[in-house]
Amino acid sequence: MSAKILVVDDEPQIRRMMRATLTSSGYQVDEAKTGEEALEKLRSYQPDLILLDLNMPGMGGLEACRTMREGSDVPIVILTVRNAEKEKVEALDAGADDYVSKPFGMQELLARIRAALRRAPGAAEGGPHSFASDDLEIDFEGRRVRVKDKSVRLTPKEFDLLRHLVAHGGKPVPHRELLQAVWGPDYGDETDYLRVFINHLRKKIEPDPSRPKYVLTEPWVGYRFAMPEGS
Amino acid sequence: MNKALRVAIRLVASVALVAAIIFVYLRIAPANSVTVALTLVLAILGIAARWGFAESIAASIAGVLGLDYFFIPPIGEFTVSDPENWVALAVFLITAVTASELSVRARRRAAETIARRQEVERLYTLGQALLLSGSVRTAARDVVNSIIRTFEIPGAVFFNQLTDEFFRSDMRGAISDEHLRQVAETGEPLIDANLQIAIVPIRLGGQSTGSLGFVGCTLSTAALNALAYLVAIGIERAKTIEETNRAEAARQSEVLKATLLDALAHDLKTPLTSIKGAVTHLLAKPRDAEELELLTIANEEADRLNRLVVEVLEMARIEASKLHPDRAPHNIMDIVQATLKAQEESLKGRRIELRVPASLPAADVDFEFIEQVLKQLLDNAINYSPPGAPLIISAETEGERIVVSVADEGKGIPVDEQSRIFDKFYRGRAWREKVLGTGLGLSIAKGIVEAHGGKIWVTSTPGKGSVFSFAVPKFKGELVS
Repeated sequence: MSAKILVVDDEPQIRRMMRATLTSSGYQVDEAKTGEEALEKLRSYQPDLILLDLNMPGMGGLEACRTMREGSDVPIVILTVRNAEKEKVEALDAGADDYVSKPFGMQELLARIRAALRRAPGAAEGGPHSFASDDLEIDFEGRRVRVKDKSVRLTPKEFDLLRHLVAHGGKPVPHRELLQAVWGPDYGDETDYLRVFINHLRKKIEPDPSRPKYVLTEPWVGYRFAMPEGS
Repeated sequence: MNKALRVAIRLVASVALVAAIIFVYLRIAPANSVTVALTLVLAILGIAARWGFAESIAASIAGVLGLDYFFIPPIGEFTVSDPENWVALAVFLITAVTASELSVRARRRAAETIARRQEVERLYTLGQALLLSGSVRTAARDVVNSIIRTFEIPGAVFFNQLTDEFFRSDMRGAISDEHLRQVAETGEPLIDANLQIAIVPIRLGGQSTGSLGFVGCTLSTAALNALAYLVAIGIERAKTIEETNRAEAARQSEVLKATLLDALAHDLKTPLTSIKGAVTHLLAKPRDAEELELLTIANEEADRLNRLVVEVLEMARIEASKLHPDRAPHNIMDIVQATLKAQEESLKGRRIELRVPASLPAADVDFEFIEQVLKQLLDNAINYSPPGAPLIISAETEGERIVVSVADEGKGIPVDEQSRIFDKFYRGRAWREKVLGTGLGLSIAKGIVEAHGGKIWVTSTPGKGSVFSFAVPKFKGELVS
């Protein structure tokens, strides 16, 4: 069964073009004209991925993205006419998985869609099954995380990032390797993506996000998951 | 005519007053000559204070004659027998005349004081009127009207030398344009007491800005100078306000332009997105060579249109001073590497020589912006030098700045074009047809570098190649990893 994509854009011609090209590329497509409608369709249509325009009247893309993230892990790819670093970080910060600036080539967008839809190789392929310390428990098979006995929801990308770091058992993982493992082979230079996602991860699992004890930065190299002594 | 009649009446009245006093002492209340003389002196002082010198002299003479005739023996004759009485009469006359003179002088001084005070009051009123004027043009018109109204004179004219305009009240011809011009040019006032015409130069800070003419003017020279100065300040003030307003209006229009272009860019990019999406989708599986060729053209042109939109928007931002670099310490080498990576495709087959010392200090720049500048310089080097020719990227410290250069071995830039290539929309003569571009790239690079407080320049030897360089500030604080 092909993946379901929800296209959110206030421009009818863009929705038409996206429906035609995505359908012909083998996806099922539904549309929303506004942020509000997108929230409605998120419940009724249950998409596997959302392509979200930033610049819409009423509820803008960023706000829609944040609201969706409150109740859903669905991959969100932001599409926007603006192309500044600040906008990109804002979009990722709002919970988006990826960011594509308009106008874009269809092949590039399809690659981004595939990357957003893919899950990093799971535990079955040799990763760890679980991790536990006094205040953090991770169940990789059930994709569940508990911090101080409270359940915490991670987005798929955050979860995959964490799993990849834990799988390396305390050894530093270079930026490029992390990006390719979690987003896909077309990635490698988007270190700002890592910065934003690592921040999110720290806020969710670290007792003190400003002084992390699990997810550590390795200057100029990448990131490392610090294994507690004796585990 | 009136004045002469008034003086004549006063003269007669003065003499009559003296006669009346003598008559009273002679017929109604007889008194000795001393009492009469003192009463007369009192009356003469009064006349001097009230009317003037001539009237008091007339009264004095009448008094002397009256005293002599009616009170000094031999009575009934204009002769004096006792020499003592000569002395008395002489003392009376001298006292009357001197007292009259003093009194008249005091009166004149009082009148002058009143006149000066009036002038000052009028200048003040005029100053206030000038402060309310908006533009230079209305200020000039107000000057003329206010002068006529405030000083109650029949006519005035103001010549604005800077705009070569005359502002006249309705008295064409009384003061000629030539005279006004002459005074403005020489800076020498022209005062004709007979015609009651005065022209004074308007100067501020040693620079002549025009002249001011008065008809029927009774103002003192000091007042005229003060007036000219006041007008000069008033006009200057109006000019400053006008310039400030113009600058503010210009700034607002730049901001508006940037906002409009932002909206325009969105509206242009939206259809481009549909076109590009549709074309690239078809391009992924073309049916034949012809379709491939046509779709490739459509795709390339969509890209070009997009680039133009982006560059025009960016240029507008730079011009509205809305470019705010997010500055932080960055290694020039990192920026160079990022740029080379992004340009991988177009740099294929080129030998790139990097001369960036490892010891180079960090630059205080916005990574993305400087990457864009470097990309522009690389683009230029690639486009304007033969394929395969090597490129040199170098960086070095120069005082408090870091200078980054991109050198190519192209044809170089003719000397007369070197200063113009950073201008908006300027495109080198020899290349206009061969290289697709907007003519905005280098001016954007210039805007970005200048927003960092740096500068950009080119040195080029026609036939040998060009070196584009830009200087940006070194990072001065402590580096924290």
